[in-house]
Amino acid sequence: MDILVGSIFAGLLIGMILALVALGLTIIFGVMDIVNFAHGEFLMIGMYTGLLTAQGLGIDPLFTLPVAAVVGFLLGVICYFGFIKFLLRGPMVAQLLGTFGLMLFLRNLALLIFGSEDRAVHSGILVGKSFDVGMGIIVPATKLAAAGLSVAAFLGVWLLMNRTKIGKALTATALNAQGARYMGIPTERMNALAWGVGGASVTIAGALLVNFWSVNPFIGLLFTMIAFAIVALGGFGSIPGAFFAGLVVGIITEIPGFWDFFSYTFDADWMMNVPMTSFKYMWVYVAYFVIVVLRPRGLFGWKQ
Amino acid sequence: MEAIKNALDFSDFPRVDMFVAGAVSIGLIVFPIFPHSSFAMATMIQFLMFSLYGMGWNTIGGYGGQVDLGKAQYVGIGAYTTAVMLIRWDIPFWFSMPIGVCLSVGWSFIIGYPLFRLKGHYFAIATIATSLVLKDLFEVWDFVGAARGLEISPIKYPPPDFMRLIFREDIYYFYVILFFFFIGILYINWFRKSRLGFQLRSIKDNEDVARSLGINVHWAKIKTYAIATAFVSMVGSFHACYIKSIEPEDTMSLDISILIALMAMLGGAGSLWGPIIGAGILIPLKSYLKEWLGAQAGLVGIDLILYAIIIMLISAFEPRGVWGIVEKLRRRKRN
Repeated sequence: MDILVGSIFAGLLIGMILALVALGLTIIFGVMDIVNFAHGEFLMIGMYTGLLTAQGLGIDPLFTLPVAAVVGFLLGVICYFGFIKFLLRGPMVAQLLGTFGLMLFLRNLALLIFGSEDRAVHSGILVGKSFDVGMGIIVPATKLAAAGLSVAAFLGVWLLMNRTKIGKALTATALNAQGARYMGIPTERMNALAWGVGGASVTIAGALLVNFWSVNPFIGLLFTMIAFAIVALGGFGSIPGAFFAGLVVGIITEIPGFWDFFSYTFDADWMMNVPMTSFKYMWVYVAYFVIVVLRPRGLFGWKQ
Repeated sequence: MEAIKNALDFSDFPRVDMFVAGAVSIGLIVFPIFPHSSFAMATMIQFLMFSLYGMGWNTIGGYGGQVDLGKAQYVGIGAYTTAVMLIRWDIPFWFSMPIGVCLSVGWSFIIGYPLFRLKGHYFAIATIATSLVLKDLFEVWDFVGAARGLEISPIKYPPPDFMRLIFREDIYYFYVILFFFFIGILYINWFRKSRLGFQLRSIKDNEDVARSLGINVHWAKIKTYAIATAFVSMVGSFHACYIKSIEPEDTMSLDISILIALMAMLGGAGSLWGPIIGAGILIPLKSYLKEWLGAQAGLVGIDLILYAIIIMLISAFEPRGVWGIVEKLRRRKRN
């Protein structure tokens, strides 16, 4: 029973952070119908930003969030004006492969600059501390803080999108770009803003993640795929959808824990022999496949 | 008979194209006679393999307009079938290759049926997902060597062994893959003029109109997907015998899938010569950049950075690839 509760709790915690990872993707897709394959690479840049700022300035990794947000915003805007703007004129094939090129570019640039070894944060106020809540729930302090801040960031973006004029302009651009242009909304700038906000939210997630996850240049693809799964489940373009789908996908990544629980409960030998931890992320891919085939709109989606 | 006549009929191309194609073919056939380094030979074989991969992708991705980014899983199925059969049961290449193609095509039908209900981005990402699932499975499956992969030892099968396709010199491999290459070109030449080829192009232009004309869109896509799969799986089997050591990471990773799509995209998707032009530009560029910048100057990853810049430039400024530029120039000349 302890394993079960512990797994669910761990899944929910990691799910809140994964939801923040996917938020940027869903904003960008919602506003301009382009799928960003380089999303995981943005996350990687956020992780390196958090790590290097913390090590360079000697501050706690948790306080590097503003730096990461600024870097992410600039990264998104630069990518938009430097590259994505030109992609939008072409067919969908070109868009897909173009953002893919961006992904390869960022990944290998990171490889060239930082080298291929794993790097992790070793010191910090929260690193290595954890609370034992009982019932088998052990909460690492870094994860708890990261999950809390991720929820706060989510609320911030939700308020921005739903309670401000800028958010309304973004929604208008998403619904009908040409109509929005007639109404005097600078759609070009709105697209850039979507990329900026998307980039900032994912680099914040990266700076949170680096507290308990080591970083290397190849980490991006895994998170790109997880983010795709979350966005597909929540519905492309839906912000509340992304949050709930993030929780679900977080629990999916804890399937090995459930597997252990059931194999102990039923005392089934064949279940213990399956190397379930190697399949940890495979279930995310399977979930993506099943979701898009059965319900392409996702749970909360309004775009088909 | 009609089919063979169609496959050999290149008369709808301008005469210049035929001269260039003939010159290149003769160049390829006589290439091994001239003195060359073993590195140049390896690059040449890679070029032929990737043009075949690209031709396969071109059927579904170029003519059909369905962006498939999961072709690497069929490279893996083909390569693993050949390697496992050779190592475990001593079944030679020429028998295991068709079996590998059958397995790949069977798998492509199973996943193709749900896959082709999707469109656009959803389809592309779902193909990646299936490919990654298969890779994860192969990495823990002990029967196929798990993450260590498989190795075909040339000591056990003394070369040259034409049936098992084990040779010591690359020149034999070169001629085998060159044979596949010419067959591939003839097949695609037939394919683009076949009923299915025309159906696909109409699906690419407008799916709803194609459906209203009575084309079974779903079935046409699945069939073409199977054709593309057969190409890729065939070359995958060859890859197993040529490289002699395969592991999930270098046969089924996403990079391979992208490379395959890129050949056709760079050269010009939806044209007969596109994948060949693309492979002819990218493969030598890749191996020589890796040799000069990566191995000699010690800059890891810089070859891939240049690669990525090419992809970005192509997709932003000339989505129809090199062949698109050629056609544009021709049209301008005519006017």
